[in-house]
Amino acid sequence: MDFSLSDEQKAWQRKAREFSENEIRPLSVARDQIEGPFDPWHWDLIEKGSKLGLRTMAVPKAYGGPETDFVTQSLVMMELAKGDSAMSKAFSQNWKWSHLIAHACTEDQKERFLKPFLADHRYLMGRGITEPNAGSDNRLPPKEDPKAGFKLRAERDGDDWILNGEKCFIANGSVGSLFFVDARTDPSVNISQGGTLFLVPKETPGFRVGKLFNKSGWRFYQNAELFFENARVPHANVVGEVAGGSTKTGDGDVTGGDLFGDLELASNAVGVCDDACGLAMSYACSQNKAGKPLIDHQIVQVRLGEMHMLTEALRSFTLRVAWEHDQGHRSASGVLMVNFSSDVILRVTKLNMEIHGAEGCFMNARVEKLVRDAEIWPHLAADTVLRMKAVSKLKRPDTSNA
Amino acid sequence: MVDLHLSPEQIEFREMVRNFAANEIRPIALKPERLEAFAKPFLEDLLSEASALGLRTLMLSEDAGGVGGDMLSACIVLEELATGDVDISVAMGRTMLLAHELFDVVQMSDGQRKKFLDAFHNDQTFHLAYTGGDPNAALGWHYHDGAVSDDAVLPSANADGDDYVIDGTIEHVANAPIAKLFAVEVNTGSGASVLLVPRDTDGLSVSEPSDVVRGEFVRWHHGTAAKVEFKSCRVPKENLLGVDGKNSVHSSDYFVRDRLQRAAINLGLGQVAFETTVDYAHIRHQGAKNIVEHENIGAKIADMASKLELARTMIWKAAWAIENPDAVGQGSLSNLPLDIVASTYTAQSVLEISEIATECFGAMGVMRDMPLHQFVHDSLVFAHGDGHDIATVLRIAESAVGYSRAFAA
Repeated sequence: MDFSLSDEQKAWQRKAREFSENEIRPLSVARDQIEGPFDPWHWDLIEKGSKLGLRTMAVPKAYGGPETDFVTQSLVMMELAKGDSAMSKAFSQNWKWSHLIAHACTEDQKERFLKPFLADHRYLMGRGITEPNAGSDNRLPPKEDPKAGFKLRAERDGDDWILNGEKCFIANGSVGSLFFVDARTDPSVNISQGGTLFLVPKETPGFRVGKLFNKSGWRFYQNAELFFENARVPHANVVGEVAGGSTKTGDGDVTGGDLFGDLELASNAVGVCDDACGLAMSYACSQNKAGKPLIDHQIVQVRLGEMHMLTEALRSFTLRVAWEHDQGHRSASGVLMVNFSSDVILRVTKLNMEIHGAEGCFMNARVEKLVRDAEIWPHLAADTVLRMKAVSKLKRPDTSNA
Repeated sequence: MVDLHLSPEQIEFREMVRNFAANEIRPIALKPERLEAFAKPFLEDLLSEASALGLRTLMLSEDAGGVGGDMLSACIVLEELATGDVDISVAMGRTMLLAHELFDVVQMSDGQRKKFLDAFHNDQTFHLAYTGGDPNAALGWHYHDGAVSDDAVLPSANADGDDYVIDGTIEHVANAPIAKLFAVEVNTGSGASVLLVPRDTDGLSVSEPSDVVRGEFVRWHHGTAAKVEFKSCRVPKENLLGVDGKNSVHSSDYFVRDRLQRAAINLGLGQVAFETTVDYAHIRHQGAKNIVEHENIGAKIADMASKLELARTMIWKAAWAIENPDAVGQGSLSNLPLDIVASTYTAQSVLEISEIATECFGAMGVMRDMPLHQFVHDSLVFAHGDGHDIATVLRIAESAVGYSRAFAA
């Protein structure tokens, strides 16, 4: 076993750390405390990070990107999230779809979408799958109900498809230039057989952004409703095959869907936990209770120990999975890792809050923010549904090609 | 002999407050603008409506013109009120308890009693505040350490003719924004004493309720509170409560009752999180059925229901213990600080319940225009603030192992 990082990996890590400390962290709490769903957003930060390559780092070399590996991407997300979890996600969300374009799109699509993505520092991407009545059903479609899952309809009209329906909670919804949209091309069968993935640029006629969601945590990160009213999308924008292209992302075998998505949340969680550990240690060393430093109290020591133990375990798990992904090894480890990350981030951020405690009738704002950010995890991809999904993967034979 | 029947009066009161919380408070408390984490205005009008139901005088003795409800009744009512809004319940609980403490428990002179009790009865918006803190609040940090001194810095009250002149500032006084009478813990030179100070006294000023965000900090308490300042504030010596140099509140069970009240309010928060989840589980359809029919949702509901039941049982038992102080010596109850057992268990359990509730709501669980995130926030304040920190349980341990502190504060 070799745990050493390459010079290139270390260089990316260093660059991300500097950007996180100098640009992200100073904005973090202030942006979080701005009211309104859109207002915490900050284009300047995105542009600055983009100029350092942090928006486009997953684009393959063949298309002008740096083609970083999963380990590097994981390391960078950890660093960015240590400054601010939501800001890290705003960058890494684009890597997810860079992976998808690289692995699942045609040369023509790469030409049409990767080039403008690389050229424009404000070009962001998202994917629309969730609908008001289709959340868990998209991730774990019930066998007994073929109609379950997304309902957004796509009907063929000559060289185009006409899309009608709505999506909700869509990442980068209010700021995205390009969306991957899951639609039903055949509503009579389940989403695995009748679902198709479309590339929908924001200027598509009949497409518009609806309500922006005002979240308790991850306030910087944008989520919105997307409406499709006779939205006309050319057939050339179908990703993969009609009736089948959509669900491949769910299997994580050809695209950035689960494969990157799991890694993204787990790596981000490591960054948040690193921040929590740092805050707790510095507080415990600087404050006194009952005449002695907080860190000299046993009840504080066991908590600090647990925080670091869980954080290091998550870091190891995450980097191992990143490395496995880089070797082309596919297993249930990704989903188990993201399940674990949810438990760890919730526990570690709350232990940090326990160590700080209230100061009079006030609480340290960053400590409180980390808990709110952590509370996003069980709602994203590490809830009970995803735990059950892990079992469906464990039941399958290992698809390793390593 | 154990009898767990509630009295007809307790059941009637509970129904009344339950309906009030559901029909009057919740529709207003759950308006999206109130769910903004950084601006949560206190619903003073609804507090007045709750007062009109007679809740301010629930614990006040019948002799003093009150309802004469016991601690258990107070816990039942405050739990229900909290299902509407935690802050209203906390503010009401404070006035309810102080009315009992000041007019029934500590030795008010006949003159004081007549003057302030009449004013209290005649004005539904007459609330009460006490500026002192629990001297035992941080005792857990001194686990098995006898050398504890109470180093609270109190406002000074210097005798001047027939008056005391008070100077000093207290950063955080619960109910200060709404109180018309303050019981002020002061140092008269003879030690900690309590002076009764009407709100309109010259030299007493109450600041605006604290901002939600203050520099590197966010507001972290329930109810309504503010800073209180005394500048050459002159009150007649006849406003001294009890004896000079003695704070009678310290020798009463005020802080035990206060802790238990907050546990009951915390429980109400858990109850409403539970009910909200069950309602939603009946209508949310995923996985080919309403989610209430899924095993994993069932397991969560069972967990929530069990935790609520255990917390309520402990709170009620501790409430009964307050009215039956002989029960420990007689062997019916354990010699433990049951109020702390109840409040720490409830705080931890309700936090877990609130988190389960948000998970069941999926993405809606973290949206500001839904109440779920507020349940989590309010639970966190109870669990990691409001009289609780990680050392609080060590007070249970000291009792359990029979440790007695020679110089307890």
